[in-house]
Amino acid sequence: MQPAPASAPAAVVADDERLMRDQLIARLKVAWPELSIVGEAANGREAVASVHRLEPDIVFLDVRMPEMDGIQAAKALAGMVHVVFVTAYDEYAVGAFEQGAVDYLVKPADPDRLLLTCQRLRERLQHKPAPMDDLLAQLSQRLGGDMKAREYMRWVQASVGANIRMIPTSDILFFHAEDKYTRVQTEGFEALIRKPIKELIDELDPAEFWQIHRATVVRVDAIEQVSRNLRGHQVVHVKGSHEKLEVSRTFNHLFRQM
Amino acid sequence: MNPDPSDPTGNAAERGGSRPAAQRSASRQALGDIGDGIVVVWWRFFDWLAIVPWKTLLLVGVLGLILASILKHPLPFLMLLIASLIIKVVAGGKRRAELTASEATKRAETQHLERTVIEARMEALQAQIEPHFLFNTLASIDQLIVTDPPRASKMQQSLIRYLRSALPQMRGGGRPTLGQQVSLSTAFLEIMAIRMEDRLQVVMNVPEGLKSAGFPSMVLQTLVENAIKHGLEPKANGGKLEIDAEIVDGQLAVHVLDTGMGFLPKSEGGVGLANIRDRLKALYNGRAELIITVPPAGGTCATIKVPYEVVPATA
Repeated sequence: MQPAPASAPAAVVADDERLMRDQLIARLKVAWPELSIVGEAANGREAVASVHRLEPDIVFLDVRMPEMDGIQAAKALAGMVHVVFVTAYDEYAVGAFEQGAVDYLVKPADPDRLLLTCQRLRERLQHKPAPMDDLLAQLSQRLGGDMKAREYMRWVQASVGANIRMIPTSDILFFHAEDKYTRVQTEGFEALIRKPIKELIDELDPAEFWQIHRATVVRVDAIEQVSRNLRGHQVVHVKGSHEKLEVSRTFNHLFRQM
Repeated sequence: MNPDPSDPTGNAAERGGSRPAAQRSASRQALGDIGDGIVVVWWRFFDWLAIVPWKTLLLVGVLGLILASILKHPLPFLMLLIASLIIKVVAGGKRRAELTASEATKRAETQHLERTVIEARMEALQAQIEPHFLFNTLASIDQLIVTDPPRASKMQQSLIRYLRSALPQMRGGGRPTLGQQVSLSTAFLEIMAIRMEDRLQVVMNVPEGLKSAGFPSMVLQTLVENAIKHGLEPKANGGKLEIDAEIVDGQLAVHVLDTGMGFLPKSEGGVGLANIRDRLKALYNGRAELIITVPPAGGTCATIKVPYEVVPATA
């Protein structure tokens, strides 16, 4: 078998910082003069587009990029091109790459290490690019990019005066439905939002907020005590507010004695 | 009569007549001790009277009366009981207030101490330099050394200035001022401007006169880093970052504005923002706040309001 490919191999370099692209390109020229850099990309989306357009043999992907990060770009390109990840900081337990189908580089690429990468790539170019499903799944989990975990609302966007204000849910004492609006009560102020309680309760973390009434959702940590009023209904007292919130029968079970 | 005090055989009558000085003072001390004891017991009784519920007091009174009648001397006890009731009515409230007050002071002192400790711990947390930033910057300098040495040197100097104030052990004592915090963030932004090139425009709008105002350390820097990391860096074309400072109703308001990705209601907002809130609470006890708003043009505006206090120049 003849190891050398007929034409010179081509590569695309993707990094959001131009200095970093320049650096890698300059060092690749020294380490592998025959490699031609056919394209550059400043974000993941551009990288995917240039690979589709230019059909290079190799793509160097910075892990952290705008629009689409290196991992997502690699997923989109799996099987099309040989991928080398580039990162400034070895935070993703990069060891995982070493057994994988791809290589990784740490910025600034050390010239000797780069020679090794080029050597590996020359060997790999003989084969079809490997699909990297397992590795990428592992990586994206490490990156915290696992989207399966449900995300709850952490901020409420509300009008206070003329401003739109982001209120952290940890500041909110309770939500109370009033006519067309929902009142958001904090210790210092109140604000009105349009989202009805029914929709809110789906988006709030059930460990953080409890619905105690058709019209009321209270933050669990803000509850000071629960007592009974003259009519025998449970009433929630909230820290930092004088208002007492009635618990409807449907939600009585929340405060049953231990 | 034997005046010799050392005579071991002297009888009791003689001793009674001319008590030696040493013994006299000893007995006086014993009397004093008894007096002190009575005073202590009296105040204990007083405190008890002040805080004991009426029900208990009446119960004790009735039981005591029964006991005293069995002993056939109910009168003195009755008088004591009436005196107690009067004391409780007249002085009980005041004494109780005193007790509550001293307890509250004690609690406040512990709370203050706790706050100081928490604040110190949180400041250390907040101050962490992101390794990603550090390594990317070093890699950039490495590249500029080859292509543009003067720029490399400028970038390295900015990095040194940044590290000098951002490393916890370099921060030193003294109250941090807004000026120091702005110069720290300026050094950081100079670096980011070289790295991000035309993807980052920085506008600084901090009046010279406000730079001597006290401002908690690393709070501005956390907001600036958030604006870059969550606002501008993820945006392909980047945008503008603006720092403004002004006095509003006697408070120092510092705004960090970016035209980036905008704030997502479901985003965690970083540990950074929660940390700032907790620190402001610990440092200013409710007189400071962090407000996040969405400017009409998009992006994010984070505002810190703290009491305006000038830090006197040392040296």
